[in-house]
Amino acid sequence: MTETYYAELDERVFRAVLPNGLTVAVVPRPGFSRKMAFLATDYGSIHTAFTLDGVLTVSPDGVAHYLEHKMFDLPGRDVSAEFAAMGADVNAFTSYDITAYHFTCTDHFRDCLSLLLEFVFTPYFTTESVEKEQGIIGQEIGMNDDSADTRVFENLTKAMYAEHPIRVPILGTRESIAQVTPEILHACHRALYAPANMMLCVVGDVDPDEVLEAAKAMSPTDPRPDVCKCTGLQEEMTCPQPLIEDEMDISMPTFDLGFKCEPAPDGEDGIRQEVVGDLAAEALFGESSPLYLRMYEEGLIDSSFGGGFETLSGVSMLNCGGDSEQPADVKEAILQEADRIAREGIPEEDFLRMKRSALGRRIRDLDSFESTCFRTCAYHFSQFDYFRFPAVYRQVEASELQEFLSRVVRPERCSLSIVYSLDKEEV
Amino acid sequence: MIQTIELQPGITLRCFPEHRLRHGCLSIQLLRPMCREEASLNALLPAVLLRGTRQNPDLRSITLRLDTLYGASVSPLVRRVGDCQTTGLYASFIEDRFAMEGDEILAPMVAFLKELLLDPDPEDGCFRRDYVESEKRNLISTIESELNDKRVYAMTRMIRLMCREDSYGVPRLGDKEHACAVTPESLYAHYRRILRESPVNLFYVGSAPAEQIADLLRPMFAELERDYQPFSGQSAFRDCGGCEKCETMPTAQSQLCMGFTSSIHTADPEFAAMQVFNAVFGGSMTSKLFQNVREKLSLCYTVGSSYVGLKGLVTVSAGIDAASEELARKEILAQLEACQQGAITDEELTAAKQALISTLRSVHDSAGAVENYYSTAAVSGLAMTPAEYMAAVEAVSAEQTAAAAQTVQLHTVLFLKGVGA
Repeated sequence: MTETYYAELDERVFRAVLPNGLTVAVVPRPGFSRKMAFLATDYGSIHTAFTLDGVLTVSPDGVAHYLEHKMFDLPGRDVSAEFAAMGADVNAFTSYDITAYHFTCTDHFRDCLSLLLEFVFTPYFTTESVEKEQGIIGQEIGMNDDSADTRVFENLTKAMYAEHPIRVPILGTRESIAQVTPEILHACHRALYAPANMMLCVVGDVDPDEVLEAAKAMSPTDPRPDVCKCTGLQEEMTCPQPLIEDEMDISMPTFDLGFKCEPAPDGEDGIRQEVVGDLAAEALFGESSPLYLRMYEEGLIDSSFGGGFETLSGVSMLNCGGDSEQPADVKEAILQEADRIAREGIPEEDFLRMKRSALGRRIRDLDSFESTCFRTCAYHFSQFDYFRFPAVYRQVEASELQEFLSRVVRPERCSLSIVYSLDKEEV
Repeated sequence: MIQTIELQPGITLRCFPEHRLRHGCLSIQLLRPMCREEASLNALLPAVLLRGTRQNPDLRSITLRLDTLYGASVSPLVRRVGDCQTTGLYASFIEDRFAMEGDEILAPMVAFLKELLLDPDPEDGCFRRDYVESEKRNLISTIESELNDKRVYAMTRMIRLMCREDSYGVPRLGDKEHACAVTPESLYAHYRRILRESPVNLFYVGSAPAEQIADLLRPMFAELERDYQPFSGQSAFRDCGGCEKCETMPTAQSQLCMGFTSSIHTADPEFAAMQVFNAVFGGSMTSKLFQNVREKLSLCYTVGSSYVGLKGLVTVSAGIDAASEELARKEILAQLEACQQGAITDEELTAAKQALISTLRSVHDSAGAVENYYSTAAVSGLAMTPAEYMAAVEAVSAEQTAAAAQTVQLHTVLFLKGVGA
C-alpha cells in the first residue's frame, strides 16, 4: 500500500486500489482498542436513474435505503447475530448520496472485516423477505412523518428544487416502496455496488496489509459493469416556492431556511467552495457572528438554531434552522446582514480567528473514528484527499466569503420552510 | 490509571492520562440532591454562566474567546445519577501540540473556565435579569420540546407515572412550573449556596501531568468561602404502586412503554448478570425483543429495553401501529418469560456479553467516554473499572442471567395511541 504522512495532523494513511476498482484506505491508530471499518458506495437516494450496460433503469423512490435494509440477509444466516457474537456493532445508513455499512469491534477484527465485505457484496433477496421489509420501513417512514426536523427539511427541499431528486425523501413513500421487487434490488446492486463505485476505509490499530488481503479475498472479481448515473438537468438558481408551511403536534414552530448555491465541482475546487461556504455561514449567522448575538438576545432564535453549507451531487445550499416564533423575521435579518457584509467586508482579524476555530474543530473531529471514516469516503467520492484540508484553509481569503454571500444570500435564491404547532398557527 | 487529588475537602480532581488523542477535556461538576425544588435551578445555572462574565460580557465575546482557543467548546453539563443531579461545565479542546507556533491552549482554557464559573457579569449584586429570563425561555422550550420526539416523550411520561414518589420521577432538567418561578435573585442565591456547600468533582482527560492540572486548578477554589456538606448518598426506589394508562396523541405511530422493577442494584454482586439479562432481553440488535417483535413479527421499527441500576428499573419501549398494542404487549411479556425460564441460547448469551464487553473495552478510546464513565461511577458508587466490569460480565452464566430475569416484575404500562397526524 502507498503510505502518506500528513505532518500538520500527525496522521499516516495507507491507500491502494484493487484490480476490481475498490479503493482501500487504512488510517492506523496505534494503542486504541476500538477498530472501525466503513464500506461505502457512491450511491444514495438521489441516484434513482442510471444506465446499466446501456439500458436505462429508473428505480422507485427510496430504493437505495430499501436495499441497505435487505443487504443484511444472507441465505440461512443472520448477519447481525454473527457480528454480535463477535462483540461487534454493525450498522448502516443511507443518505442522499451515500450508502455505508460499518462496524466497530475490539476483537475478531479480521473475521468482522471479512463478514462486512461478504454481506455487502452478496446480493440475496427473496420475494418473501422483500415484502416483509415493507412493514419495517413503513414504520420508519411513520417515525419520520412524526419528526418535525425531518418534515421541515424535506419540505424545504421540495420548495427549493424543481427537478433534482433531493426533493424526494431518502426513505421514499409507502407507495413507492411498495413497488420494490427482488429484480429491482438486484439491478441496483449490480450497477451501484460494483467495487469501482465503492471505498473501504479502516481506522484503528490494524495492519494495513491485513486489510488489503481481506479486501482482495472478499470482493468480487467480476468484470466491471458499464454504469452511468443520470444526474439530471442543471437547476435554475432561483427557488420555485419561496414559502412552504405545515403543521404538527409540536411545542414551538420550527423552520429551515435555504439559499440555493451553484453545485460544487469535484476535486479541490469543490472542497474550496465548501470551506468558503462553511466560513461564510459562520460569518453570517454562526455563534460568533454579530447577527447571532442580536437574534439570540432579541429572542428571535434560541440555542436550537444552527446551520451551514451542504453539498451533494448536483446540489449545494446554505441553510439554517431551529425553533422560532418568528421565522420570517429571521429570514429578513439574515438577508440584511448579508447585504451589510457584502458592502463592508469581513475584518481580517475576524477571518483569521474563524479559520483557526474551524481548523481546530476539524482536527478535534479526527479523534472520532466515525467522522474520519465518513469523511475519508465522502471526500474520496468527490475526488479529494480529505487529509489535505489544512492547506485549503490556508489558501482561502476573506474576499471569497464576501463574494459568496453577495451572490448567494438573495431573496430570489431563498425558500423558507415552517412547521407550526397545531394549536397556535400564525397568520 | 486514574490519579485522584483532593484539592480541598470536598473538591476532588481526577485525572486520566491520555497521549493518543488530539483533544482532551475537563469537566467541573457540583453535586446536588435530585429534587423537584432544585432541578430547574441546577439546569439553568450553567446556561446563565455561559451567557457572560465580567471580562467577556456577552455570548459573542465568549464565542470569540473560544474561537481563539482553536474552536474549543464549553457546554453546560447537567447529569442525573440516581438521587444526585450534577450541574457544571464541560470543556473540550485540542492538545497544545497541535496549536500554531507556540500558542497555548490548556492554561488559558482553565483560566477561562474559572472566569465562567466564578466571575459572572453582575447586575445589582445578582445575575443579569435579561440573561436569566432568556435562558429560562430556552429551558422551558427545551422542556416542552420533549413532546417533539414521541419515543422520548412517551418514555418520560411513563417514568414520571411509575416514579411519582421517587426522585427518578423528577425530570433531569426539572419541570416547567419550577422553571417559570426562577428569579435572578433566587438563582443567584442558589449559585452562591451551592458554590459554598456542594461537593465538587473535577475530571481531566489529556496529556498534561496531574500535578500540572492541580496547580492550574487550585487558584480556582482558593478564594471561595466553603462550608462543605457531603452528598447524602443513593437510596432505593420508593414504590407507590403501579398502574396502567392509555392516552391518545395526534401522531401516525403509537408508543407502548412498560416499566418493570428489579431487586438488583448497581452495588449488588448480581449487577453484571442484570446487565447481561437486559442485553439479552432488549438491549441490542440481537436481543429477544429486537429479533422477535421487530424482525419476526414486523410490529415496529424501534423496540428496546434499558436498565437503570441505581433504582433497579427496567423499561421497554416500542413504536407500533395502534392496532398492534395487544400483540406487542403479549410478545414483550412472552420474551421476558422466556428469559425467566432460562430459554437463553449460547448465541444470545455470547452476543449480549460481547456487546457489553465491546462498549466497556472502548471506554478508554474516547475522552468523552472516559469522563462519563469515571465521573458517573464516582457518584453512583460503581466500584469497578471497565476491566473489572468486563471480567464480571464474562463470568455471568445463563443460569445467573435467568435468575436476574426472575427478579423483574411488571409495574406500569403507558400506551400513547396515535390517532393520525
